[in-house]
Amino acid sequence: MAKATKDVIYGLYNDEEVLMKAVKVANEKHLEIMEVFTPFPVHGLDPLLGFEESRLHIGGFIYGSLGTMTAFLGMTWIFTKDWPVIFGGKPYWAVPSFIPITFELTVLFAAIGMVVTFYIVNGMGPGIKLPILDNRITDDKFCIAFDKAHIDASVAESFLKETGAEEVSSKII
Amino acid sequence: MDNTYKIPARQTMLLGVGMLIGVLCLVLTYVGDDDLHTRFWSNILHNSVFFTGIALMALFFLSASITAWAGWYTVFKRVWESMSQFLIVGFGLMLILGLGVYFGWHHLYHWADEATRETDVIIQGKAGFLNANMYVIFGGIIVAVWYFFANRMRAISLDEDKNGGDSNFSHHRRLRTYAAIFLPIAGFTSAAMVWLWIMSVDSHWYSTLFAWYTGASWFVSMMALTIMIISYMKGRGYFENVTTEHLHDLGKLLFAFSIFWTYLWFSQYMLIWYGNVGEETIYFKERIDHYPVLFYGNLIINFILPFFILMRNDNKKKYGTLLFTAGAVFFGHWWDFFLMLKPGILHTAHEVGGHGHGGDSGHGTDHGADMAGHGAEHAGDMAHGASEFLMGFNFPGFLEFGTMIGFLSLFLFFFWRTLSSAQLNPEKDPFLEESLHHHA
Repeated sequence: MAKATKDVIYGLYNDEEVLMKAVKVANEKHLEIMEVFTPFPVHGLDPLLGFEESRLHIGGFIYGSLGTMTAFLGMTWIFTKDWPVIFGGKPYWAVPSFIPITFELTVLFAAIGMVVTFYIVNGMGPGIKLPILDNRITDDKFCIAFDKAHIDASVAESFLKETGAEEVSSKII
Repeated sequence: MDNTYKIPARQTMLLGVGMLIGVLCLVLTYVGDDDLHTRFWSNILHNSVFFTGIALMALFFLSASITAWAGWYTVFKRVWESMSQFLIVGFGLMLILGLGVYFGWHHLYHWADEATRETDVIIQGKAGFLNANMYVIFGGIIVAVWYFFANRMRAISLDEDKNGGDSNFSHHRRLRTYAAIFLPIAGFTSAAMVWLWIMSVDSHWYSTLFAWYTGASWFVSMMALTIMIISYMKGRGYFENVTTEHLHDLGKLLFAFSIFWTYLWFSQYMLIWYGNVGEETIYFKERIDHYPVLFYGNLIINFILPFFILMRNDNKKKYGTLLFTAGAVFFGHWWDFFLMLKPGILHTAHEVGGHGHGGDSGHGTDHGADMAGHGAEHAGDMAHGASEFLMGFNFPGFLEFGTMIGFLSLFLFFFWRTLSSAQLNPEKDPFLEESLHHHA
């Protein structure tokens, strides 16, 4: 599969405060940021970048409800139709004893479903190698990246240097 | 910047009317009551315990937050400080109830009945803990200790505004010491108080989970009341620094602890249901058979409702939905305490009332000594069978709601009096800056 490559110019910052200020400046100057990479979630960054709220949790609710129904209806069928067994003198359809397992399957379905969805949406998966700008953005560096197709490289470079980037480099990914 | 809360005259008038309604309802309850004035005293116990616990939980959560280096709550920490000061009123209320145990003004507790103590083996076995001295002296000391911490911590916090701000954060360090000492004390003593005040109305019955379950109930009510108070004050133009982010976090706590409460409720219920031991199941059998609306309604209002309303992110940020849920849950936990207390108290009233007053002999000889369970077994031979519907016991009537409004007004009156005596903004708290820039 021939993948479209991008010519990217990016700057590395040492601190998230500096990064946040830089993003604000970029917004004021109407510079089109391609992506921001941070080693941990930075509070307040999403609204600055104009990201909409993630819809992942809606998926989580659906997967969770699916887990609830699987567990509850499954146990109901097993213990009343398929293989009725009396435990401790309780009725076949002993709802209170179903609740812990229902709860656990809800959590399991929601968790696994959300992880799988997240991987699929982001094109991630076992064996898929994704391009990475700089290994240190998963450690202690904060990165703002521009696509050279949408911004003049010199403008981007001067912006990155002015707002306090420690290093500025280019890379084709 | 002067940002002290000025109590509007209309608010004082409204709370005054609320307190008057409370007094009026208490008087009406007393007049129209049975010989033992069970409904009157049980309403006082119900509301005293509920609001004292809310004050305790405010202090407990404040201490937990201070110990955990939390900073987000700092802009409105005066609210919790002021709520905790209600413990002095709680001390007075519980003292009245304690003296009632001493002098036999009321018959809320089966173990306090002299005739029962002579014949009832189970209550004799618990007499080391369940006795009048323990109730008055031990209970009094514990609530006094709670108030001591509430008072000291607020005093240090207020002093910080005047003399604080040194580079060593000496005020905050002292606050941390108090908070760290208070946490284990609150953890253990609140459980003991729950056994003494609430669980002992069902003297034969016990549950290890009960104290946490009750504590969670108090906690959720405290959180709901905090949300309502802050929204009200924001509407009046105060707390301009308390943003949607803070309210969102309060909403999350309300949501989380509603689920925690349900978790404990269900754990208690399921273990007893599964174990199927008569002495234990009697607690739930009594409630399911004679209080079905309260029993199932309790779960709907305190779990289903906050769970589905507060699940969505947006709903925790909207004042309307948050206020509605907080109001419903606050009322729901008041209802929960109603359900904890009234069946046991009603049963005790039948036992004591059915055989004359406490001092009479002959009580309990035909049943009781060897009978671990109580309630349903006795219903048949009682003058007032438990199956007979009784307003104020099987369901809260207007007098109960009125009494609740009275106690709530008392709480809020005291709260706002305390809150308005100092400035709202803890300007020299080292965590204030963090709280002003709170993002979640």
